[in-house]
Amino acid sequence: MAGGDTQLARLLEHPAIWRGRSAAQRTGLSTGFAALDEHLPGRGWPRSGLIEILVARFGSGELALLLPALAALSRAQCARWCVWVAPPLVPFAPALVAHGMVLEQVAVVRGARPLWAFEQALRSGACDAALAWTRQPQPREVRRLQLAAERGRTLGVLFRPRRFMREPSAARMRLALEPRDAGLRITLLKGPGTRRGALEIPWPL
Amino acid sequence: MRPLSPRAAADRPQELPTPAAPASWPLGKPATTPPRTAAPVLWAAVHLPGLEAAEKLVQLASSCQRFTPRVSLVPPDGLLLEVQGSLHLFAGVAGLAAALTDECRRVAVPPVIAFAPLPLAALTTARAGKPLVITSLAQLTGQLAPLPLSALRWPAETLERLARVGVRTIGAVLRLPRAGFARRFGAAQLAVLDALTGRARQVHANFRPPERFRRRRELDYELTDHERLLAALVPLFAALGEFLTARQCGVLQLECRLWHRQAAPTDCVLNLAAPCGQAQHLAALFGEHLKARPLPEAVRACELRAAALVPHVPGSRSLWQAAEHGGDVGEETCGLIELLRARLGAGTVHGLAVRDEHRPESAWALTGPPVAGAPRGAARSAAVAAARRPLWILPAPQPLTVQDGWPQRHGPLRLTSEPERIETGWWDGGEIARDYYVAIDRHGVRLWVFRERAAPHGWFLHGVFG
Repeated sequence: MAGGDTQLARLLEHPAIWRGRSAAQRTGLSTGFAALDEHLPGRGWPRSGLIEILVARFGSGELALLLPALAALSRAQCARWCVWVAPPLVPFAPALVAHGMVLEQVAVVRGARPLWAFEQALRSGACDAALAWTRQPQPREVRRLQLAAERGRTLGVLFRPRRFMREPSAARMRLALEPRDAGLRITLLKGPGTRRGALEIPWPL
Repeated sequence: MRPLSPRAAADRPQELPTPAAPASWPLGKPATTPPRTAAPVLWAAVHLPGLEAAEKLVQLASSCQRFTPRVSLVPPDGLLLEVQGSLHLFAGVAGLAAALTDECRRVAVPPVIAFAPLPLAALTTARAGKPLVITSLAQLTGQLAPLPLSALRWPAETLERLARVGVRTIGAVLRLPRAGFARRFGAAQLAVLDALTGRARQVHANFRPPERFRRRRELDYELTDHERLLAALVPLFAALGEFLTARQCGVLQLECRLWHRQAAPTDCVLNLAAPCGQAQHLAALFGEHLKARPLPEAVRACELRAAALVPHVPGSRSLWQAAEHGGDVGEETCGLIELLRARLGAGTVHGLAVRDEHRPESAWALTGPPVAGAPRGAARSAAVAAARRPLWILPAPQPLTVQDGWPQRHGPLRLTSEPERIETGWWDGGEIARDYYVAIDRHGVRLWVFRERAAPHGWFLHGVFG
């Protein structure tokens, strides 16, 4: 029977298979915040798949939360790109550099079809991460984005208004952010093998 | 009558009887040593029966350059290739003939291919419809002898007169005396015979492929549908792919002009991030570009033009997947950039750069799209002050309303930091004098605002800490 067990174990190592809580054992991408790492399944951001970040207002601290992980990705030996699709403002290059981001890996895409561009970036396999600020993707489109991100082995981050919190989503992980006086309150809405709950990371991020 | 003997050297008076001359053309063995080049040569003649379009011949000559660089056009329906040096690459004559036949079938019509050490001999054999392989000069005249004279493409009147004296094959005409032949049938025809047997060298100009690609296609019926239009463009892209492959070149810019019935022609220009020589890739990119273009009218004709060629050696693809185990990401990256630019427009993808400047609005710059494999990570972070800067900046400071001397944005702002003074810039006229603060609005969004030090002391929003 031992042979059968090892065969099963090998089968379960297949990257396309994840089983509830065991998926959480996989090493994620460290967020740069010890408390958040502790809280997230896989002890960090997933390395591929779509994350939805729901904020009440643009600039609630969502980028600062992501930036340590993005900077770590961009400094890796064979880093791929970090594509920013349709950001509402201009990313301030000196601040990105100060956070340790390698600017050569950053590409900003604007244009009439942000969702299409986002999907292409996720699918292409040329990006470590792709961020998008889009208005209202339909649930079907979110599912497409999630599949594209898995296919391209890309971390996709979709920033959406908080009012979509109740809407079902195919994203791998969903977080809601809320700036408080003391710090940024993070509520984990969805994730593989996740314990729900909220935590607060003190300012400044 | 003195026989037409190759031993009679060209400079010898033709009328003098030559004691050593044999009584007739010795069929089957060379009578003399024909002019030899240093290296052995083998000519392949391609005869394309029924070929009409001259551009097909040129197209075939271009694609035949993959067999040998020495390709000559023999209009209207023939090609000559010197293939001795290429034989070992195609597993001998049989392999080369098979590959050449495939190429001809693909481009034009099924060919007749003959091989001989002399170009005209090979061509004549092929025109006679005999796919012979003559590898040595010793067999040449023997193999040529039974071929009909019509293969030489002499004027009909000459052939008729020869037929009347009973000369119908090449062997028979070679047996005629030279002087009498030249007098009766013309020196030009004698020169042909000399070239055929190797007495005289025949020089063929090498085919030089055109340096620019430009091909037009008239559509059978007018098209409005993008998909069908793309399908109609496929042959043009295939031709472009061959053109680029034959030259080991790529293009950086591709133009396509679409003609309409009344409206002005539509010009589509495709700019690429890196030289590309792959027809499918170019066609796919162009498809994206075209989908984003509305057409004013149905298209009647299209023309594809490649701008200047760039030397481009197609790289080998990595065994590993991109960015995994050291796999290269260059190709995917270029592909993504080109795809986005083709669909969204050339100016929609850009990179970011830091400039050595203390004024926030001049401290950053947009650059062209990032280049894959560019040197990275120049340690610029040292130049950036440790002072807190927002992650987002407004392209221009946005004035804030002021109430009771206090800045407002969705209600009053709370200032949470000491002022940071940024000023001067007199050297380029962009002089500033500002006190920057971190402010928090009613919704908890942290902003970067400043108050002008000069009169009227206005408040402005300049960035958002994201």
